[in-house]
Amino acid sequence: MNHAVIVGYARSPFHFAGKGALARIRADDLAAAVVKELLTRTKIEVNDLEDLLLGCAFPEGEQGINVARLIAFIAGLPLTSGAATVNRFCGSSMQAIHNAAGAIALGAGEVFICAGVESMSRVPMMGFNPMPNPALAQQMPGSYMSMGITAENVAKKYAISRLAQEEFAVASHHKSATAQQLGKFTNELVVLGDVAVDGCIRADSSLQALAGLKPAFDQNGVVTAGTSSPLTDGAAACLVVAESYAKKHQLPILARIKSIAISGCSPELMGIGPVEATRKALKRAGLTMADIDIIELNEAFAAQAIACIRDLDLDINKVNLDGGALALGHPLGATGARITGKAAALLVREGKQFALATQCIGGGQGIATILEAVA
Amino acid sequence: MSISKACVIGAGVMGSAIAAHIANAGIPVLLLDIVPPGEGDRSRIAKGAVERLLKTEPAPLMTRAAAKLIEPGNIEDDLHKLKDVGWIVEAVAERLDIKQGLYRKLEAARKRGCIVSSNTSTLPLHMLMEGMPTTLQQDFCITHFFNPPRYMRLLELVAGPLTRPEISTVITNFSDQKLGKVVVLAKDTPGFIANRIGVFWVQAAVKAAHDLGLTVEETDAVMGRPMGAPKSGIFGLIDIIGLDLLPHVDASLRQALPADDMYRTLPADFPLLPKMLADGYIGRKGKGGFYRLNTSDGNKIKESISLKTGEYAVSTPSRLDSVAAAKSGLRILVTHKDRGGKLAWAVLSKTLAYAATLVPQIADSIVDVDLAMKAGFNWKYGPFELIDKLGAAWFAERLAAEKLAVPPLLAVAAGAGGFYKLSGQGLAQLDTNGTHQTLARQSGTLLLSDIKTTSKPLAKNSSASVWDVGDGVACLEFHSKMNTLDPDSLTMLMQALEITKRSMQALVIYNEGENFSAGANIGLALFAANIGMWPTLEQFLEQGQSVMRALKYASFPVVGAPSGLALGGGCEVLLHCSAVQAHAETYMGLVETGVGIVPAWGGCKEMLIRHLPGPRDAKGPMPGIMAAFEQISMAKVSKSAAEAKDMKFLRVTDGITMNRDRLLADAKARVLALVAAGYKPPVPVELRLPGPTARAALGLAIENFSRQGLALPHDVTVSNQLATVLSGGMTDVMDVLEENRIFDLEKQAFMTLLHTVPTLDRMETMLATGKPTRN
Repeated sequence: MNHAVIVGYARSPFHFAGKGALARIRADDLAAAVVKELLTRTKIEVNDLEDLLLGCAFPEGEQGINVARLIAFIAGLPLTSGAATVNRFCGSSMQAIHNAAGAIALGAGEVFICAGVESMSRVPMMGFNPMPNPALAQQMPGSYMSMGITAENVAKKYAISRLAQEEFAVASHHKSATAQQLGKFTNELVVLGDVAVDGCIRADSSLQALAGLKPAFDQNGVVTAGTSSPLTDGAAACLVVAESYAKKHQLPILARIKSIAISGCSPELMGIGPVEATRKALKRAGLTMADIDIIELNEAFAAQAIACIRDLDLDINKVNLDGGALALGHPLGATGARITGKAAALLVREGKQFALATQCIGGGQGIATILEAVA
Repeated sequence: MSISKACVIGAGVMGSAIAAHIANAGIPVLLLDIVPPGEGDRSRIAKGAVERLLKTEPAPLMTRAAAKLIEPGNIEDDLHKLKDVGWIVEAVAERLDIKQGLYRKLEAARKRGCIVSSNTSTLPLHMLMEGMPTTLQQDFCITHFFNPPRYMRLLELVAGPLTRPEISTVITNFSDQKLGKVVVLAKDTPGFIANRIGVFWVQAAVKAAHDLGLTVEETDAVMGRPMGAPKSGIFGLIDIIGLDLLPHVDASLRQALPADDMYRTLPADFPLLPKMLADGYIGRKGKGGFYRLNTSDGNKIKESISLKTGEYAVSTPSRLDSVAAAKSGLRILVTHKDRGGKLAWAVLSKTLAYAATLVPQIADSIVDVDLAMKAGFNWKYGPFELIDKLGAAWFAERLAAEKLAVPPLLAVAAGAGGFYKLSGQGLAQLDTNGTHQTLARQSGTLLLSDIKTTSKPLAKNSSASVWDVGDGVACLEFHSKMNTLDPDSLTMLMQALEITKRSMQALVIYNEGENFSAGANIGLALFAANIGMWPTLEQFLEQGQSVMRALKYASFPVVGAPSGLALGGGCEVLLHCSAVQAHAETYMGLVETGVGIVPAWGGCKEMLIRHLPGPRDAKGPMPGIMAAFEQISMAKVSKSAAEAKDMKFLRVTDGITMNRDRLLADAKARVLALVAAGYKPPVPVELRLPGPTARAALGLAIENFSRQGLALPHDVTVSNQLATVLSGGMTDVMDVLEENRIFDLEKQAFMTLLHTVPTLDRMETMLATGKPTRN
């Protein structure tokens, strides 16, 4: 079987939607800039490119009309390559990587750009025209449930206190702030004009400040804006190629895709999705959690991240070394490419063997990727 | 000479608010202040002032966008920007040396003929201009704005002996038409007009309250509404102005006034003042003054100070017989035997007599004095109108009987039958020679009150009338309490349409009440619902719907001309007009959900239509529905006519008039222009709505709001009914809906909600307290 390997990872700075530095940039321009820079950095022969697979959670408006193809045009990709927009909500760009791995395994192409983008400033969550099926909405309220409420449900079911969530969020901000200070994001960031650094990290985040926030989704609840990932603008991209291709062209391999998995769960508890997805992926890789050295677990909400850590019995010291989405932000379509690319980069940086990237998905799913260092 | 760009120098409270109001008029304005010592942005004072403007309440700016017309800067780096400025307003500290220093600086920077004016309230023009170059003196005047400049209509204009006459004309026209001001020509005398009389009034009342032993509440109750002044009265007004300013105002008047001026007979202060200032009780801008809110135990309790002991206690409303009796007339008030009546006489006898000694010393005519007090202190009647209410002859006799001086002008008025008289040409005022001269209105000014004094209505009932305002234009006037709409108002609206169709060209809907209309009369609705008169209610509703339909599709144009509140049913009337010419201070909104119902005279329908996506909006069936839902469910009200455009209560093509007195003339001109352009009624809109799908989407939003604690239990019920209406009911996005179908849905939702107890509770609380209940 042809293995897929990740040979490049780049992302834009992430900024708050609405008030942030990227609010006035269209999603297609944003993603194209990252794609272009990724190609420059990896010095790939662009005519070998098979496909641009781009994750986007709300592919409409400026993110519509198969935006992947339009991004390919803006980025100047060869017209002979293809482009598809992939939608699995928050799992969209990790799914793009899975699609590429599958195609490579089938021998259906050697070089893929797996990217993701979301301008939550310019295309609102739920889209411009939310039009739920009235019968389904009635029979199965979870199908259209607000993400915040699912976080409340998880907090309740797993008895995760507000304080525990706030401690987790503060830790995420402090890890990100430290990483930022030490320049640990420099290699992955694509400078866009005068926007060179991330905009959501709060170095001064404190338990005291978070304790003062009102519940954001349920007046009697425990989830606040401070323990939820912010609405974010951003783009990320990975270069995924066949291992044989990488070796032939002497590309520096960050990691090999060892196994992948998707798993469904109750939509009311969507935040717990990573648990089963991870177990499936581990099993497929023939590994146990003890074998995993690096973990990128998306922090949609502190509550669901903590629930996953507890259920999977993760070693907290291996989780999100440079902080997670609570601090960095969560541009829905871009997050999968970010955490998978980040996990691969961390394997190299930390000199480790196995990494896990996993995330929860609105509607009740989990997605997981296990990566392996290539000697 | 016209003013296409202005500059305000001095970015304090007054200067920045004047700049804001010039920006409200759509005129770009430089706002300059000094360069403060130390490091940092050299224009940070003016920049900070612009930021503050956006946070100040009541808002000095009519829209946030207006702030972009204000360009902040400083007087060291930015004077070269004055080259295309037509008017410089100086609003710096009240110090002669500072002002004159600035004027000298401006001489080199301003373009030839650029008007320079000072907003001084205490320094006379002749002192400001002493030793100044003639070129400046020719272009200089005083423009005294009142605080807050957006809302207080008075502008006192003082010209000097060398001021070019056209300067007064340009400032008058600009301030009248662009800034909406009542411009009064004042003489170069201390306190000009309004402060000269207003401060006298305040000081006289403070003294009388102490002499006669009235509480602050009693004093304010007597000096407020019964004499036509704002209900803040005297002590409430001092709290607003600031107790700390009182000594300065007094001192500046006292040192400038002639030795025999009546003001000198009043004490400079009162026993409590030093202690109140020392304790920090400087008024509303501090921790309180004569009144304060005590929040020490978590509740907000209104307290007032005892003028005798200086101690605060829970504020108790006044219960003076004289205040109640004042409804029968001002003379009843001032002759009443209780201490309220005595206070009223003591204060008004002095204040009105004082005013009568001041013409022509401070103003050329009595009407200018009356205008200044009405526009500068929000009095309903000026001093000479108040004397006429008492009876000029009666007042003169009473003064004489009490051995008080009778001012010569008052004696003349007593002999001539009063200060004002109605003649065949309208209202006439007494001139200083003792003859009555017909009042000439500014061209472009048309007042219904003038028309009403000289003509009879074409039709009339207890809630509304129809007038002929000339040139084939009829005018429907609401005149019920708060101009709420009842079956009589609707009947008269229908009749106005019939009369116009029969014998006129066009109709305007306009009145000169404080508010265009506070909405449908919910007292009637509540009464009918309480005794189960459902058919009556349904009839009232259907009457409204058919009148709105007739209004919208009339064969002639109808222009609505609101000022003040246009809420609920009042807003719906305007939504169905061919066009609207709104006063800048118009506050529109569909606020029905506050009393537990939904707009049902086509308000939902019209907002669905208004929110249909335009070329620059997101496409699809939902954005418009969601925008209308948000606006109506949250009962949003515009804070100006300009904001009503942003909110789509007004169309982009609708007009805005800055000057209240020009509104009827502008509305009439607009409706006649529609006639001239060959008016055709609108083509009915066909709506495509997603029905249950949209209902489900809005239902999810309502549920989330409820869980977040942003919607009360009955809000959920009302919002769900609203959601059903705005979704189009049981329709499908492939179906085409006619407007009448939305009328039906509105009616269904309205009747359903009226059958719920919490809705009736909301109405009852609103009627009792004027505030929405939370249930």
